[in-house]
Amino acid sequence: MDMTKLTSTLLATTVLTCAAGAVTAQEQLNALVWCDHMDPALIAPFEAEHNVTVNLREYEGTGAALALLDQSRPGDWDVLVIDGIDVFRAVDAGILAPLDAAQLPTADFFPEVVMEGVNTVDGVTYAVTEKFGYNTISYNTANVDPADMESLSTVWSEKYDGRISIYDYYLPVMGLAAISQGIATADIGSDNLDAIGEVMGTMRSRAASVAGVVAAQTALATGEVDIVVGGGEWLTAVLAEEQPDLTWTIPSEGAVRWTQSIGVVEGTQKPDLALEFVKYIVSPEGQARLATSSCFWGMPANALAGDFLTDDQKAILRWDDQPDYLALSQLYPAPDDALDADMQDMWLDTLSQ
Amino acid sequence: MTTTGQRAQGWGFVAPALLWTFAFFIVPFIVMGAMSLATLDGRTLIWGLSFQNYAELAEKRFLWRAIVVSLEITLTVTVVSVVLAYPLAWIIAFNVPKRWQRLALLLAILPFWTSYVVRSYAWLLVLARDGVVNQTMLNLGLIAEPLTLANTRFATVTGFVHFFVMLLTLTIYANLVQLSPNYRRAAQDLGASAFQTFRHVILPLTLPGIVTGAFLTFVLCIGDYVTPQILGGNTELTVPQVIMVQLGRRADFPLAAALAIVLMGIVTVAYLAAARWLRLDRI
Amino acid sequence: MMRLLPWMYLAVAFVFIYLPVATLVLFSFQDGQLPVPPFNGPSLRWYGDVLGDSRLTAALINSVLVALGASLIAVTLGFLAAYGLARHVLPGSALIRALLIAPLTVSYLIVGLGLLIVLTQAGLGLSLVTAGIGHVVINLPLAFAIIFAAMGAQQQNAERAARDLGANEMQVILLVTVPMLAPAIGAAFFLSMTFSWDEFIISFLLTRFDVTLPVEIWSMLRSGLSPRLNAIGSLVFLVSIAVVLTLELFVFRKRRS
Repeated sequence: MDMTKLTSTLLATTVLTCAAGAVTAQEQLNALVWCDHMDPALIAPFEAEHNVTVNLREYEGTGAALALLDQSRPGDWDVLVIDGIDVFRAVDAGILAPLDAAQLPTADFFPEVVMEGVNTVDGVTYAVTEKFGYNTISYNTANVDPADMESLSTVWSEKYDGRISIYDYYLPVMGLAAISQGIATADIGSDNLDAIGEVMGTMRSRAASVAGVVAAQTALATGEVDIVVGGGEWLTAVLAEEQPDLTWTIPSEGAVRWTQSIGVVEGTQKPDLALEFVKYIVSPEGQARLATSSCFWGMPANALAGDFLTDDQKAILRWDDQPDYLALSQLYPAPDDALDADMQDMWLDTLSQ
Repeated sequence: MTTTGQRAQGWGFVAPALLWTFAFFIVPFIVMGAMSLATLDGRTLIWGLSFQNYAELAEKRFLWRAIVVSLEITLTVTVVSVVLAYPLAWIIAFNVPKRWQRLALLLAILPFWTSYVVRSYAWLLVLARDGVVNQTMLNLGLIAEPLTLANTRFATVTGFVHFFVMLLTLTIYANLVQLSPNYRRAAQDLGASAFQTFRHVILPLTLPGIVTGAFLTFVLCIGDYVTPQILGGNTELTVPQVIMVQLGRRADFPLAAALAIVLMGIVTVAYLAAARWLRLDRI
Repeated sequence: MMRLLPWMYLAVAFVFIYLPVATLVLFSFQDGQLPVPPFNGPSLRWYGDVLGDSRLTAALINSVLVALGASLIAVTLGFLAAYGLARHVLPGSALIRALLIAPLTVSYLIVGLGLLIVLTQAGLGLSLVTAGIGHVVINLPLAFAIIFAAMGAQQQNAERAARDLGANEMQVILLVTVPMLAPAIGAAFFLSMTFSWDEFIISFLLTRFDVTLPVEIWSMLRSGLSPRLNAIGSLVFLVSIAVVLTLELFVFRKRRS
């Protein structure tokens, strides 16, 4: 064996290991998040300011995130981004640490999304809202009568048979199905699940596909479908520039409002740094960057973020329409573990019709 | 003349690979089997010997539907891929001049090296409503209205067949060129027609290659998550998709494990059915 | 007509095989936000975008490291096992061979799921290393099978000669067996690299913060339609075929001549 080669290999390995060591020497913050937080444009300024590395891991559903945190050792995770309506589940599981409410700029927030009822449990604040938006109806004005989109009763009617795609997430879509039946999303329970299931069946029978973000965008952009049930600004914002016919609306019955909350994980070894990160995310600058993140856009919770957004960006976010939209929309359904399992089963069952 | 010392040395060479396979393949497999007999109470895992997960597979429509859908898609893909790849391998082996054969084969499998995730996405663009296929057929006047091709089972099957035609062309070609031309000549000398030569001489001789390729197709296809997830439109779910939903949304490891065991069972049945002709050590 | 038929089939087959690749590459030059017809361009903006993406570059480096590490281990273990089985009479050698080949008959998803369950139950964290462990599991059977098939009497004679001349076992392996089996070892390594480099589901399940390129591409794919995907896909394809063609022209061809 060529000794020089062996030596150089060993050397290279050592250098690599040392380099890896040097990276880990910097302070780390571990965050379990959604994909919009993975945009370097959002994270890099914080990393530079505090000279830390933020490690990000995205997840799909709350159930999986909670299971992951259950199984982790204390200190494995520092920050959690979670569906607003699921904050209570995380608090129940002892996963979130109390936040010092005095340090949060909630006074500058859109009042409707401060949502103390969601973010505090027994008077203790555990999380803070960071972003919100709507799961509603996205459609193509060129092929669809906009008047039909103003009522959920006509969206998935026979007229649009085969021209509909359903967004592939059970909570908002089942929420919309409930709203169409006059059931408030907060009242969804085992007693009215069958009624919702019936609407889901109709919706599914009219749909050409059940689509994730890319598939729904492709289907809309290529004219494969004209309507996406469960869509919204986060779906059509990136398409708006080139396909002005694609738009979204909130029907008269209302729509589902999604909100994300952020909090510090119980057991973190770096409570101060984690709090700094939360404060950065809800600061006006952080909020503007989060609102226009490369993964998906959405309204910032902090109204002062408007100072850092361009007029075009605000137009896409429909900044000025928010009072109406907030009034019309209802929060995501917030099932407990058992109802959640039933809803997911029903969802999968509907898909396989 | 093996001495005990030599035998011990032999074990020394084999041990690392065996230990690795044992620790990271056999043990996880046993734990997964045990997990499939556990249950979930809320998010608390309860180990035990419950067959509840398997009972659910039979009871819940979307679960057994997924098994049926997976089987249907996999069998379709396997058959279509073999039927399409065999003539291609044949043409490359017998019609293309010798000096161009290697190039032709290389060209036929080059897209293998596109990123696996991106390949399915590319098919989504090809099959889209105003994608290349629809545009071409519209221009040729073959259809009056664009067809819905993307987000269907057809799209999933197409994406799969594309990949496996390349794989099978390679394995079948390797088999065909190993045949001595004497077989064909002898059969023809004995008065066999071209078809008879194929049916009674070539096909039986290439069967091990076909079956090995088909079995690999079956295994890779039935366990694949990406292709149906990107191309299938989610209107029907395959077993891997349901496994990933259970993991991603609910962390229901016991049910996911039970589904994985069922998947293993199906592959085992396929293996036994094909075992006579399989040459796995000669891939 | 009958004589043309094979060539027509060949042509149609090649159109089918290259259709997605051509579409992918064409729309990577799209000047606009959407990689769908009509084609406007050409523009290189998406390539600039992709090359300037720090997450993608990091994922690319991770992929190379994992593929290299996993292939090195798989080929080393595979070689040692093949050597042990070919040169020593061991009881139950057929069973050992079957055991070593077994992971080949199991879906990657199941290998990944099994490891994920064990790792989470054991309270061990996920990382690129755990993904690499999974890659070794799937590559070891291939490496073993390829190298084992190449072991023949020819090397055995040379090994015996070396031993007679006083070489110890280590020297025999490193100075005789490995060089003589270099083509098979190289092929096993190349194949391992290919599989590991492009593997998605095991990496997806078993990584945490640092991910491999296919996982990063998957994240991009989930977050929205964009010609960036076409650009990164085209780049990966370009680099991969450059490697394949280089090997074909300078390594495999030379070997055969």
